[in-house]
Amino acid sequence: MGLLQELIFGLVSGSYIAIAAIGFTLIYGIVNMINFAYGEYLTMGAFIGYLAANVLPGPFPVAVVIAMIGGGIVSIVLARGFFSPINHTGPVPMLLTSIGLGIALRNAIRLFGGRSARYFETETLTFRFDAVPDISVGPVDFLGGFFITSEHLIVIGSAMGVFTVVHLLLTRTDVGIAMRAMGDDETLARVRGIDTQLIRDSVWVLAGVLAGLAGVLMAVQTNVSADTGYSHILQILSAAILGGAGSPYGAILGAYVIGLVLAVSTAFLPSSMTGLSSAMAFMILIAVLLVKPSGIAGTEVREA
Amino acid sequence: MSALDRFPPGHGDRALIAGIVCLFIGALFTMTPLRVQLPSAFYVFVEVGILFVIYGVLVLGLDLQYGHTGLVNFGHVVFFAVGAYATAMLSAQDTFTGIGLGYPWPLGLAVGVIAAAILGAAVSLTSIRLRGDFLAIVTLATAEIFHSLFVNFEDIFGGNVGILGVPRPIAAVISDSDTQLVATLLVLGGITFLTLAVVIRLTDAPYGRVLRAIRADELVTRSVGKSTITYKMQAFVYGAALAGLAGGMFALYNGAVAPGFFTIQVTVTVWIGMLLGGAANHRAVLAGLAIIMGLRLISRFALNVTPVAGDVFASIRLIVVGLILVAVIRYRPAGIWGDPQELGVDQ
Repeated sequence: MGLLQELIFGLVSGSYIAIAAIGFTLIYGIVNMINFAYGEYLTMGAFIGYLAANVLPGPFPVAVVIAMIGGGIVSIVLARGFFSPINHTGPVPMLLTSIGLGIALRNAIRLFGGRSARYFETETLTFRFDAVPDISVGPVDFLGGFFITSEHLIVIGSAMGVFTVVHLLLTRTDVGIAMRAMGDDETLARVRGIDTQLIRDSVWVLAGVLAGLAGVLMAVQTNVSADTGYSHILQILSAAILGGAGSPYGAILGAYVIGLVLAVSTAFLPSSMTGLSSAMAFMILIAVLLVKPSGIAGTEVREA
Repeated sequence: MSALDRFPPGHGDRALIAGIVCLFIGALFTMTPLRVQLPSAFYVFVEVGILFVIYGVLVLGLDLQYGHTGLVNFGHVVFFAVGAYATAMLSAQDTFTGIGLGYPWPLGLAVGVIAAAILGAAVSLTSIRLRGDFLAIVTLATAEIFHSLFVNFEDIFGGNVGILGVPRPIAAVISDSDTQLVATLLVLGGITFLTLAVVIRLTDAPYGRVLRAIRADELVTRSVGKSTITYKMQAFVYGAALAGLAGGMFALYNGAVAPGFFTIQVTVTVWIGMLLGGAANHRAVLAGLAIIMGLRLISRFALNVTPVAGDVFASIRLIVVGLILVAVIRYRPAGIWGDPQELGVDQ
């Protein structure tokens, strides 16, 4: 396959990582925790969407909406049960709690959902562009014919839609402005009369809704299993930190950088080492934390 | 008894004596034709016991990093794995895949400890200044990177098969399998006791007080003229070296290493053991680890009497383990035997 094809794959995976990374980074910015259980939110979104698509007669978009609503409910329930009571303890206990919760959830899903992977049955149209000439340099083809499916277009289109909606929410609504105020300085926000617990809850719901959507899109591209979300959590995390933890716009940028780097490294690595492409995301993550820990657009995470 | 007369009998000295006694009895098995017979019901206890003493060295190293110095290392397994792989690759003979150089095993063990310490130094040089939760992420990512390196570079690390043919020094001199297990437990347990004695000595010294001061308030510690970064890096490297020692012990006991032995599950087990027992208290973290690994025993017995399949049972056990972690942090942040006041977690 040519590089052009890999770039399209990169754009697609960048898109669903971006949707998830926005939710992840909002939780980081406003609740001030790294939520390692976030991958399981995606998995649950994927499972809810899969159930809805197979049990209900409605069309696919209905299943997506149900997954988003389900994701939001799951997120707020888990937050109320596990994270809100220990909000005052600081980032490290919250991170450890989310790791424990993630293990429990992942295995609960495995217990009820089984070990086998399931696949969404969707009708796809494939658009082929074979006329593009090959430009081969060594083993790497820099152009080459490519194809794009309607699924790819749906994923990229949904991501664009989400970016617009989140941007409008954060800049034009009272809730969104309050969220940004809390992200800047929680004490000042409270002094100004913002109900911080309410805003925190709405961030949890928003993050859950985004996780539901990202989970279904991810599952359409890959599969539905207990590891659907967990296998992407480090990429989401890398995207969020690369963009500057707490900044939704940075997270979008970071997600596309991660998606494209993964895709391009697949093209350049010898075929026996494609498994290394996932390590690339973490190497980027470590490099960012070393060189510019604040990310593309974020705050300082070093203490000394 | 002259040694007891000279030193006031503290925990460290008791651990030292226990370690020497264990090693002595273990050595007796290897030097003499003395043999023991184990009732078959005891096998599983001894096997889990051996794993426990190996993980015990891991948890002592982690406790030095997190419990005493406050460094959140969530990739502890990577130092364990690097120690095990370095030992295995240097000492393995006729491995099926990967590199086996066939040097004597003591050299392999030494290189294993050094390799883990070097990796620890590299991680701490670059990342020790990061805030706690980000240090956790960097160490976790490091562990994931090494895991995929081990899996993907088949010519060097043997891929998913790993390195086989690692010498097993105790199995080499004792042919009887019962005695082998008991001697292994005694020798490795003796090493764990000695490690305990050393870390108790270290943390009872003024050095340990500086580490705990850093955890309590780094700014204040720096203001009294201590180079906190240097202390943090040293503590991190000591912890990594101990994990490397545990890795070498594991490789030489198991006779093979493979990526499947070094998953994030190892990190989670030692973390939960440490938090459950009570960080910053050496004996408490070992007791906490014993509880978590005892859970493994219970589930192994329960598996025989319940009709559910093995993978279902594994899932249930992991759900319980995850919820224990959540519950400990919420209801007993200092652990069972920890001191909330000293850890600064009382509310």
